[in-house]
Amino acid sequence: MSVASPSRAAQIARSQRQAQLGQIIGWFFTLLAYALIAAVFLTPVLWMIGSSLRPSREVFQYIFPLSWRTFVPLEFTLQNFADIFGISEQGRALGFQFGRALLNTAFVSSAVVGSSLVFNTLAAYFFARLEFPYKNLLLIFVLGTFFVPQEATIVPLYIVVRQLGFADTYWALILPWYASPFVIFVLSQFFQEIPKELDEAAIIDGASLLSVLRHVIVPNARVGLLTVSLLEFQFIWNLFFWPLIATGRKELQVIQVAVATQITQREIAWGRIFAGSVVASLPVILLFLALQRYFVEGVALSGLKG
Amino acid sequence: MATFASRSPSWWTFIQRRKTRNVIIAGLFVLPAIVNFLIFRYIPILWAARASTWQYSLLGGYRDWIGGDHYLRALEDPILLKSLQVTFTYVIVKLPLEVALALALAIFTNQARRGMGTMRTIVFTPVVMSMVVVSVVWALILNADSGLLNALLRTLGLPKQVFLSNPNLSLPSVITATIWKDVGFSTILIVAGLKGIPGIFYEAAVMDGANRWHLFRHVTLPLLRRTLFFVVVTQTIFSFQVFIPVYSMTQGGPLDSTKVLVFYIYQLGFRFQDMGYAAAVSMILLLILLLISVTQMRFLRSNVEY
Repeated sequence: MSVASPSRAAQIARSQRQAQLGQIIGWFFTLLAYALIAAVFLTPVLWMIGSSLRPSREVFQYIFPLSWRTFVPLEFTLQNFADIFGISEQGRALGFQFGRALLNTAFVSSAVVGSSLVFNTLAAYFFARLEFPYKNLLLIFVLGTFFVPQEATIVPLYIVVRQLGFADTYWALILPWYASPFVIFVLSQFFQEIPKELDEAAIIDGASLLSVLRHVIVPNARVGLLTVSLLEFQFIWNLFFWPLIATGRKELQVIQVAVATQITQREIAWGRIFAGSVVASLPVILLFLALQRYFVEGVALSGLKG
Repeated sequence: MATFASRSPSWWTFIQRRKTRNVIIAGLFVLPAIVNFLIFRYIPILWAARASTWQYSLLGGYRDWIGGDHYLRALEDPILLKSLQVTFTYVIVKLPLEVALALALAIFTNQARRGMGTMRTIVFTPVVMSMVVVSVVWALILNADSGLLNALLRTLGLPKQVFLSNPNLSLPSVITATIWKDVGFSTILIVAGLKGIPGIFYEAAVMDGANRWHLFRHVTLPLLRRTLFFVVVTQTIFSFQVFIPVYSMTQGGPLDSTKVLVFYIYQLGFRFQDMGYAAAVSMILLLILLLISVTQMRFLRSNVEY
């Protein structure tokens, strides 16, 4: 033995120190990644919210150099919001009606979610449980719409809606969306998970199909129904291209169109754009935060992952 | 015997009638959805096919039937060629970046460490914001004079950039904004996929002496195949239909560097009052998407088994 071998105790101590060091390095990189992700995904959101609560000139004044002042209003004001809601004199003069646009959007989104819950549930129950000649062909007909790209057919859709005579009405914003292949697919996956014995027992007891659906299927698929409703709500709330084309009247303007028209105007008022963006996104963000637990469970259960 | 013979037909018709009745009732469950898809998803395609063979505008109505002239014109339209180029570049650059980023984020946030749920929520926030709000806010982030990104560049001592008016930077800017918005959705799907991989596979691999890279390469990736294909297929279809960020950030410019197909269709139909040609270009986009989805589906089917 030319080299003195370290004692056993020292060896253990050294490997423990190494393990500790490795753990510290691991934590360091995790924290670093954590900070980076938070910065990338939250900074734009925080900038939007902070800037909506300050006068536009303050946005420009503190943008450079970057510091906490870039994000936190020094002169706190609700003027931007008063403007876009048409409460302030300036807002009225510019014809801003974000309140109306919000109500329109809330109405249309609720109407679509409500009607789509009824019709998609019926159709999903049909595909999950009922017998019908050539049912597979019908399923192909429904799933085939997946291959019909929405944005690509929006112009032709407008031509059809115009021919039917309800362009530029609330119907134009609601009717095309009352059924969705995606929702039918996901819901029927959920329904298939429910044991068949439950509805068979109910049918032997003399229950009709509708009451089986109401008393057996729906109560057992609450998470699924909630998940698709949430997705559908944010889908309709965030629609832009279709409402832009289907409606021209200002009384029918939805919130996303109201936000977008602000930036295509000649003079861009930053504060009002930020305020409009906050108003357009906060309701959905809050809804998702409130229902997040169910939503994550729903996505995991729905087989959405493929 | 006589009684049986006389009773048997009526009994048989009773069953028959009951069966017919059940089929009719079942049909009623799915009828509303079928009607919706027929009118709002399939008929527009037929309508577009028809309109594409006419000189047709919303204001002027149908004028002359011109057969395949619009399609011949499309073959020689330099703007359409440019637009196809821009759209394919957008998809080919955005898709791999987004999926790779989503995979990294999913693996990172799927660790059993504190705060990872919060991290997933942060990454998911842009997903529930509307594309309009995201593009409007990113247009201001990328603003040449007072944008947040240029403030960051200047703070770091780098020269400022005119992101949206430079034809070399405009498309990358749009891609960045849309990845920022969409990556959270892919992340959630991949997290759901990761949670579906039984831990025993990892334990077995570790027993066999696998390191982290081996685990990722030989356990995670193969078992995530279905999820990843699902993400790629859906994101391809969505990405080909990009419209809103172009509409609100660049209006297709500068020098047509961001003129994606759907934006070109919108311009043709609604700005240039050339709805017939817009319908023809819609049909071309439809055909491209159909070809891509069918190819991907075949690929998906042949790769499902592992």
